[in-house]
Amino acid sequence: MSKRTAKDAHLPVGECVTQVQDILRQRLCHQRLPDKPEGVESQHRHLLELLKRTAIHGESNSVLIVGPRGAGKTMLLKCVLRDLLEDKEAQKSLLQVHLNGLLQTDDRIALKEITRQLHLENVVGDKVFGSFAENLGFLLEALKKGDRSSSRPVLFILDEFDLFAHHKNQTLLYNLFDVSQSAQAPIAVVGITCRLDVLELLEKRVKSRFSHRQIHLLSSLTFTQYLERVRTQLSLPDGFPDSRFAQDWNDGVKTLCGDKSVEEVLQRHYNSSKDVRSLHMLLMLCLSRVSVAKPAIKPADLLEASRLCFADAKANMLHGLSILELCLIIAMKHLNDVYEGEPFNHQMVHNEFKKFLQRKSNSMYNFEQPVILKAFEHLQQLELIRPVDGSSAKTQREYQLMRLMLDHSQIMEALQKYPQCPTDVKQWAMSAFG
Amino acid sequence: NAKKRKDFRTLTTVINAGQHILIEGEDEDNPYVAKVIRLFGDESGKQKKAVVQWFVRVSEVPLSKLKLLGREPHPQEIFLYQGRSCDDEVNAESILRPVQVKGGSYWSFWTPLCLNLLENLQVLNSDGDDDEDEFVPSKKELQSSSDEEEEEEEGALESDEEEEVLSKKSRRAAAGSCTPRSKRKTTSTSARTPRKTPNKKIPPGTPRTPRHATPSIPSRSLPARRPGNVLEEARARLHVSSVPESLPCREQEFQDVYSFVESKIVDGTGGCMYISGVPGTGKTATVHEVMRCLQHAADVDEIPPFHFIEINGMKMTDPHQAYVQILQNLTGQKATADHAAALLEKRFSSAAPRKETTVLLVDELDLLWTRKQNVMYNLFDWPTRRHARLVVLTIANTMDLPERIMINRVASRLGLTRMSFQPYSFKQLQQIIMSRLNKVKAFEEDALQLVSRKVAALSGDARRCLDICRRATEICEHSPADPFSTGLVGMSHVMEALNEMFSSAYITAIRCASLQEQLFLRAVIAEFRRLGLEEATFQQVFVQHRALCRVEGLQPVSVSEGLAACQRLGACRLLLLEPSRLGVLQRVRLNVSQDDVLFALKDD
Repeated sequence: MSKRTAKDAHLPVGECVTQVQDILRQRLCHQRLPDKPEGVESQHRHLLELLKRTAIHGESNSVLIVGPRGAGKTMLLKCVLRDLLEDKEAQKSLLQVHLNGLLQTDDRIALKEITRQLHLENVVGDKVFGSFAENLGFLLEALKKGDRSSSRPVLFILDEFDLFAHHKNQTLLYNLFDVSQSAQAPIAVVGITCRLDVLELLEKRVKSRFSHRQIHLLSSLTFTQYLERVRTQLSLPDGFPDSRFAQDWNDGVKTLCGDKSVEEVLQRHYNSSKDVRSLHMLLMLCLSRVSVAKPAIKPADLLEASRLCFADAKANMLHGLSILELCLIIAMKHLNDVYEGEPFNHQMVHNEFKKFLQRKSNSMYNFEQPVILKAFEHLQQLELIRPVDGSSAKTQREYQLMRLMLDHSQIMEALQKYPQCPTDVKQWAMSAFG
Repeated sequence: NAKKRKDFRTLTTVINAGQHILIEGEDEDNPYVAKVIRLFGDESGKQKKAVVQWFVRVSEVPLSKLKLLGREPHPQEIFLYQGRSCDDEVNAESILRPVQVKGGSYWSFWTPLCLNLLENLQVLNSDGDDDEDEFVPSKKELQSSSDEEEEEEEGALESDEEEEVLSKKSRRAAAGSCTPRSKRKTTSTSARTPRKTPNKKIPPGTPRTPRHATPSIPSRSLPARRPGNVLEEARARLHVSSVPESLPCREQEFQDVYSFVESKIVDGTGGCMYISGVPGTGKTATVHEVMRCLQHAADVDEIPPFHFIEINGMKMTDPHQAYVQILQNLTGQKATADHAAALLEKRFSSAAPRKETTVLLVDELDLLWTRKQNVMYNLFDWPTRRHARLVVLTIANTMDLPERIMINRVASRLGLTRMSFQPYSFKQLQQIIMSRLNKVKAFEEDALQLVSRKVAALSGDARRCLDICRRATEICEHSPADPFSTGLVGMSHVMEALNEMFSSAYITAIRCASLQEQLFLRAVIAEFRRLGLEEATFQQVFVQHRALCRVEGLQPVSVSEGLAACQRLGACRLLLLEPSRLGVLQRVRLNVSQDDVLFALKDD
C-alpha cells in the first residue's frame, strides 16, 4: 500500500479539490453521459437495434420515447447514438437532424432547420429559402428521390414532440411519417416527449402512419438503488491522479451515505421526486461547499443543501416585506377567512387594518392612505396578490378585486421566522377573529 | 389573278399545299406550326379551309414525353404530331404566314417507340439575319435515332416570296391592317378560329433551360445490407413501404376505379370520383395500382396516352398551392397561385389539338377546404368543361365529406360517383400479410390470426397490422432461444407486441410516480369526493395533501413542494392544469378515471 502511494504523484490538496470539482461538476451540471445507462437496458437495446436497422439496412422507422421529466429520455437517446456511431458503417452513412419543439415553433422554421442541417441549402444557392411552400416541396422532393438501398439514412430527432403536434395541420409530422412508410429515402423519426397522452394529439391519418412504437421510461427506482446512485454520482473514478485522496474521498462518501440523518434527508427527497435532475441539484449544492479547508462532504452540508431545496419560495419572499406589508397580508388572510376565499379590494383590506389599529390604540402603525396604497401595489408587483381575471382595468385602483396567492400555512411559517416581528402583529395573525 | 401584285407584297401572303405555315394560337410569340396538305373551300364556298399536318414545339411537348428524346432539344425544334385527338382542318384566317423548316426528318413523339421517317426538308431560311439562331443537328445525331426537324420563324413578312394567293378573305384581312404585326394581333384577338387552342403558355423569349437540379439526400458509400435470415426477410416484406406484387382484397375497388378512368380516357371526356375510407384501407395504394396498369396499357397502345398528376393536401402549405403544383406537374412551369389558377382555367376551358387526357389524383381532399371553397370548386368544375379532358380522383377519410363541408354547388359538381373503402376484415388482413410474406415462413398460423383479429376489431388499419407483425419479428429475434420453439413468430411474441402498442401507460406511470405525487393524486380524489365535483383548486387539494402526509407519518410538505409534484403530474398529463402562473389558485382536474388511479395505488 505504502509502495503504491509512493509511486503515485502526490498532489497538493488544492489541486485535488480542483480536480474533484471538475470531475463531479461534469457529471452534475454538464449531463455527462454514463458509460452504461442503468435500469433501462431493455429500452436501450430496443432503440439501438431500431436505429441500427435504419443506419445499416436502410429500414425506415418511427418511435416515441415517453417518460416523465428527468427520467433520462435524452440520456438514453444520446447513449444509443454514441453506441451506434461506434459502428464505422453506421457512422459513415447516418445523417442526423435535431429539432426541438420549443425552438422550431412552426413548420416553416422547422423546414428551414432541416434543410440547413442536411446541408441541402448550398445545392441550389439561396433559392431554397424562398417561400414556405417551395421549401416544403423542395424537401419532399429531395427525400422522394432517395431509395432504400442507395441514399444515406436520415435520423430525425424531435425533442418535445408534443409541441410539433400543435403545428397547423401537423404537416411536418404527416410528411415525415409518410416518408417513413413509403419507399423513399430511409429515415428514422424519434420523438421525445413527457406526455403520456401524446398519441391522442395526433390526427387520425398522421396516427395511422406512425408505427405505434413507444418506448416508455418509467423508473421504478427503489430507495436502495437511489442511495447507490447518490454514492456512485459522488465517487471519484479509478483514474484519479492522486489515488490516496480518491480513496479517502470515496470512503468519506460511503460513510456519508451510511449516516442516519443523511439517509433521512435523502428519503425525503426520494419521496418527493425520483427525478435525476433534482438529485443533481441537491448534490451540486453540497459539492459547492467543498473547499481546501474542508476537502470532504459532511452530513451537515447535505442537511443544509436539503433545507435550501425544500425552502418555500413564497414564504421566503415574505421575510423581505416591511411590517406594513406584512400587516396588509394578515388583514387579507382574515378577509379570506371571513368571506371564504371571495376576492377583496384595497379598501376592504384597509378597513380591516384600521380595525386592528383601533383595538391597539397604538400610533406606531399610523400610515397615510397613499403609503398603504403603495404597499398594496408592491404586493401586487411581487405577485403575492393578483387581480381577478376579467376585472376591468377601468375600476379605480382602490376598488380592483384581488385574490391572495398565499396559503395560510405559508403566512404562519413566515411570521414564525420573521426577524423581530412585533408580538401584537403575531397575535393578531393567530387570533381567529380579525 | 392568281398572281399577287407587287404592291400587296408586304401585306399578303400566298400559301401552297406542302408549305409549312404558322397558325395563330394564344401565345403570340409561339404560334402553332403545321404543314398544309390540301386547300379547299367549305360548302358555302365563302370559307377557305386547309387540311394540315400538325407539328408541336418543344414547349408543347409534355415533360414526360420530352424525356424520351434523350437529349436536350433546341428551343426552335419541332416534332411531328400524330395524335388522334385534334382537328386537322383550319380556317384560312388563322394562318399567319409561311415558314421555312429545315433539317432532317420528323421525329414523332406520339408514337414513341417507332421513328417516323417522313420526309427530309432542306434547310431554308429566307431571312439571313436569323442564321445564328439556327440549329443544325450534328451529323451524329442525324445518323442516329433522333432524326429531327426544326423550324425557324421568319423575322418579318416582308421577306416572303411571291406565292399563290390562297384566299381572298385572308388578303382582305391583311389589306385592312397596315403592318403584318398588327394584322396578326387583330386576327388573333377578334377572329374566333375554329381550331382548338391549347393553353400551354410559354413565357415568351425564355430559352429552354434544363430544370434546375433538385438536390437529393447524398448517397451512402456502402450499400445497404440485404436481409440475412428469414425473420429479416419477413420484416423487409412486411414494411409498409415495400410495394406488394398485387393488392389482395381490393379487387372490386380496383376494377371499379380502373373501368371508370379507362372509359374516360378512351372517350376523351372528363369526370370526378370521390373515394373515402378510414386511414390504412388502401385507398391511395389502389389508385396508384390502377394508374400503373393504365400506364402500361397506354405504353402498349391499348388506350390513348394520358397524363397522371398527383397532389396531396397534406403536402402543401396552403390550399391554393394546389394550382401551383398541378401546373408544375403538367407543364413544368412555376407560377404564383393566382397566375397558375388563371393558366389552368384557360387550359381546361379552351380546346386544343392533340390534347391528352389528364388524370388528377387529389389526396387528403378535406385539407383543400377554404372558406369560399374556390379551390375545390375549380377542381370539380374543370372536368365538366367540354374540352377539358380531365379526370379527377379525390380521396378523403370521411364518407359524408361532400355533405358535411361542401357547399351545394361544389358538392353538385363532384357528382355522385363515390366509392367507399371498408375497413379490412380479419380474413382480409390475414390474406394481406400472407400475400406480402409470399411463402416466407416466419409466422405461426395462430399468431397471424391473433394479429388480424385484434386489428380488425380495433380499426381495420392495414398499416397497424403490418407494424405489429414487424415488431413481433423483432421480439422473436431477441427472445432467448427456446429449445422447443420452432424459430417462428409465435403467439407470445405477438401478444407482447400488441401489449406494447395498445396498452396505455397511465397505470404504470402512476405506480412509478414518487410517493408525494401518489399522495397528491389521492388528495385530488379525496377533494373531488368532498366537493362532489370533478375539479378543485390546488389550494383545496393541498389541504387534503397535508392531511394525508400526517396520516402517513411523513414530514409536512411545503406549498412549493406540493406545487412541484402537481406540475410534474401535469407535465405527464395525469392531471390537467391551468397555466402555472396562477400558483395556488390554479384548478386541477384528473386526466385518468378515478377508478384507474385507485386501482394503480391499491396495495403497495
